[in-house]
Amino acid sequence: MNVTTLRKQARRRERVHYFEDFPEGRRFEHHWGRTLTEADNTLLSTLTLAYNPVYFNREKALAAGHADTVINPMLVLMVAVGLSVEDLSESGGAFLGIDGLTFHRPVMVGETLTAASTVVSARRSGSRPGMGVVTWHTQGRIGEGPVVDFRRTNLIKSREAR
Amino acid sequence: MSGPQTDGELYFEDFAVGEVYEHARGKTVTDVDGVLLCNLAMNTASGHFDEESMKDTPFGERIVFGGITAALVIGLTMQDTAEHAVRELTLDRLRFPSPVFHGDTLYAFTQVVSTDDADEDEKGAGVVGLRHWGVNQRDQIVFEAERTVLVKRRPA
Repeated sequence: MNVTTLRKQARRRERVHYFEDFPEGRRFEHHWGRTLTEADNTLLSTLTLAYNPVYFNREKALAAGHADTVINPMLVLMVAVGLSVEDLSESGGAFLGIDGLTFHRPVMVGETLTAASTVVSARRSGSRPGMGVVTWHTQGRIGEGPVVDFRRTNLIKSREAR
Repeated sequence: MSGPQTDGELYFEDFAVGEVYEHARGKTVTDVDGVLLCNLAMNTASGHFDEESMKDTPFGERIVFGGITAALVIGLTMQDTAEHAVRELTLDRLRFPSPVFHGDTLYAFTQVVSTDDADEDEKGAGVVGLRHWGVNQRDQIVFEAERTVLVKRRPA
């Protein structure tokens, strides 16, 4: 098949939700999950110049009373958001902000993060036709225990505007 | 007001409410940083890593995942705010007033907004409240946030 034929025959496998898919209270258990490794942590911490030694010096982390090297909390946040994007915001639209974030406990290298979100509010945008403003509450967990939670707000396309 | 970036290490007692720091280092966000960290965090939004998908948008090119902007600006503040952190406690009011593109250079500023005693079980530390700003090379604010950190008291 040439590319023209391929494009004509193929059914596009969309990985997107739209504004209409976010009734208040709808819950999403985000799939995948992610084991946070030493490599992730060292990369993120060094690339962002995050010079708290417990994130990249295991001996200092142990001396500070931790069981292992501590995962940079910003990595915990980024992965919790990352895991939620396919379900929540992959349609594209401005990231309006994060509010009310708590880091519940330090996360250690080797722990596995999962994430789940609930729709807090969804309204049509007054200034941008075809867009809505959606806020979700997202929780990042290790096993059953929360390690981070926050509210995230995005502009989200409605189905007619796609 | 000049920052304490060359004044040595910061413990809880060294944070004075109202003081504003300009952190010493900036960083140009390359596409290596932007795409690597976005994919590493499993953020699947193509606009951060598929240049073609952004050609017909008002941006015209990939934009950097806000999580990276947040991590980098807070990272740039870290030596001056959390080298002696016991742990990070909260973040609030994270905002991204201007987009960040690959090639932009970010700088960080911090204001100390509060210093409070910690809970009974954290006698050796106190809670520092901070406000952060991330600024690009065009003097546009690209990031704002409030943050609280549990910081060790100066050893006796």
